[in-house]
Amino acid sequence: MKKQRIDPLWGQAFRPAAELQPGATPQFFIPGCAGPVWPRWGSRVIRLAAILTALSVCGPVFAQEDQPQPNQRQRRREQVTPAPWPPLRLPDGQPDISGYWDPAIGGTYSLTNPSRGGVGLQDQLGIPRKKNPSRIIDPADGEIPYLPWAREKQKYIAANINEPVKEEFIDPQARCLPDGPIRATFWHTVHILQYPGYVIFNYEGNHPHRIVPLDGRPALGDSIKLWMGDSRGHWEGNTLVIDVRNNNSKSRLSNVGDFASENLHIVERYTFLDGKSMRYEARMDDPAVYTRPWTIASDFHRTHTDPTYEQWEEACHEGERNVDDSLDLSRAATAK
Amino acid sequence: MKQTFSRPKTPAWLLAAAIACCPLLFAEAPAGSPAIPRAADGKPDLSGIWQVLNPANWDIQDHQAQPGVPAGQGIVEGNEIPYQPWALAKKKENYEKREQLDTVTAKCYLPGVPRINYLGLPFQIFQDSKVITVLYEYAHANRDIYLSNAEHPKGHIDWWMGDSRGHWEGDTLVADVIDFNDQTWFDHAGNFHSDQLHVVEKYTLADHDHMNYQVTIEDPKVFTRPWNMNVVLYRRTEKNVQLLEYECYAFPLEKYYP
Repeated sequence: MKKQRIDPLWGQAFRPAAELQPGATPQFFIPGCAGPVWPRWGSRVIRLAAILTALSVCGPVFAQEDQPQPNQRQRRREQVTPAPWPPLRLPDGQPDISGYWDPAIGGTYSLTNPSRGGVGLQDQLGIPRKKNPSRIIDPADGEIPYLPWAREKQKYIAANINEPVKEEFIDPQARCLPDGPIRATFWHTVHILQYPGYVIFNYEGNHPHRIVPLDGRPALGDSIKLWMGDSRGHWEGNTLVIDVRNNNSKSRLSNVGDFASENLHIVERYTFLDGKSMRYEARMDDPAVYTRPWTIASDFHRTHTDPTYEQWEEACHEGERNVDDSLDLSRAATAK
Repeated sequence: MKQTFSRPKTPAWLLAAAIACCPLLFAEAPAGSPAIPRAADGKPDLSGIWQVLNPANWDIQDHQAQPGVPAGQGIVEGNEIPYQPWALAKKKENYEKREQLDTVTAKCYLPGVPRINYLGLPFQIFQDSKVITVLYEYAHANRDIYLSNAEHPKGHIDWWMGDSRGHWEGDTLVADVIDFNDQTWFDHAGNFHSDQLHVVEKYTLADHDHMNYQVTIEDPKVFTRPWNMNVVLYRRTEKNVQLLEYECYAFPLEKYYP
């Protein structure tokens, strides 16, 4: 695979300056904000002031969990030409949004405190970490509105994940089970392909796929439940709306035991804002588990924009060796 | 000056004879069979849901029925697999222990190529001019057959499903597949290969609803010469048919979740 240089804060591939149109106005990616800032003034002092202002306005990105390593930050930022917008249309009329998309913060450890990487270990060791904003935008308190019995179940799972003595405490993702539509969206990169009458998701993490027909065909019967649910989509302008039913919900929603039942009904909205940004919102409705519907959301940005990038095999289940060991170790430790 | 052209006169009897005798001259599919669909770039459009009807997944050679296994006429050309002597002995040992050793039936591992295509579960082909993406119902397997980048990456890579690079030869999609591990079998009967396996697949639409799938197997560590398999893929034509899921490694775990 051809190596590509990636903007460490924005996830996009660099294009060499030589490829730019002559006379293009330089742009600066201000971390933490959507879109580039275009300082049109010549003075270096004014540009610096603009950057500092943007940093204070757009939020403390550098305080977040997944900031780049210092040597990456020092790389010279080259200039990237934004994709043209409004989008090109595919022959069947869909806006062309195919490619790879990353959330603002990836990782499925927690929905209310989204964090990437070994945060479970951090928590176990008592290492303090800054809380990231909840992915839940409705209700306003950022918490999942569980029914009382469901909140007890979630807390029960969360209390036991670090020393799992029962199968139910093993995270399904550790077993390489398909993540379900919500969890797959936030775990690793979302790969979207488009064909006449279809949108396809082939998620980079373990490659579960979703085939979303756009032809208005009826939903599957209720008695078929699927790990990745069953999707029916349509476009509203530049927003892809997907109705997801027939969820078996067995992959849970996070490491810390967030869950839904097989009654879960999801309505996703992917709003494509320009060539490289997208706003994702998903309405989660499950009266068996929640007191009311709730909404999970994130900004997304394009990644892997090198056209020679290829998504290669990930054989998770075939390579998995440790889960049964962790059960054995926990049981032995608990027995002492 | 006005020119006049005299056309050669074709006798009517000759025309009638040609039409009666040689329908293939007119390059149409046989009567009653829908014509081959074409993509925007003029290539045959392989898109759709496909599935085999034969039991080659159990044994790619001629075999009789066993409990749970239908009898089958083999898909191997000549019905003989040209094993080297040591490999024939190993195949027999594999067969004796197939219930433990076949990682597809015992562990729900990926089946490799070409077994994924005659496993017996449906798969859906999505086609454009740069890549053919195939999504399988079995264990969410997927393959990308790259058309725009014909070079295999620097190997050797131990993949379950190999690396596939394709091109069109007339109306046949030819896929060259290498970079396999040695963990997969060609069937449940213990027919195996090494990591030097090289598969050449040929996909040719016979008509709208049937595809001829021919495979050439080459593996100098295991076989004395290349050999071929031939399979017919049938299009699933039921109204609103779609892929479902067969997440077999989840079956013993489902009860613990959510």
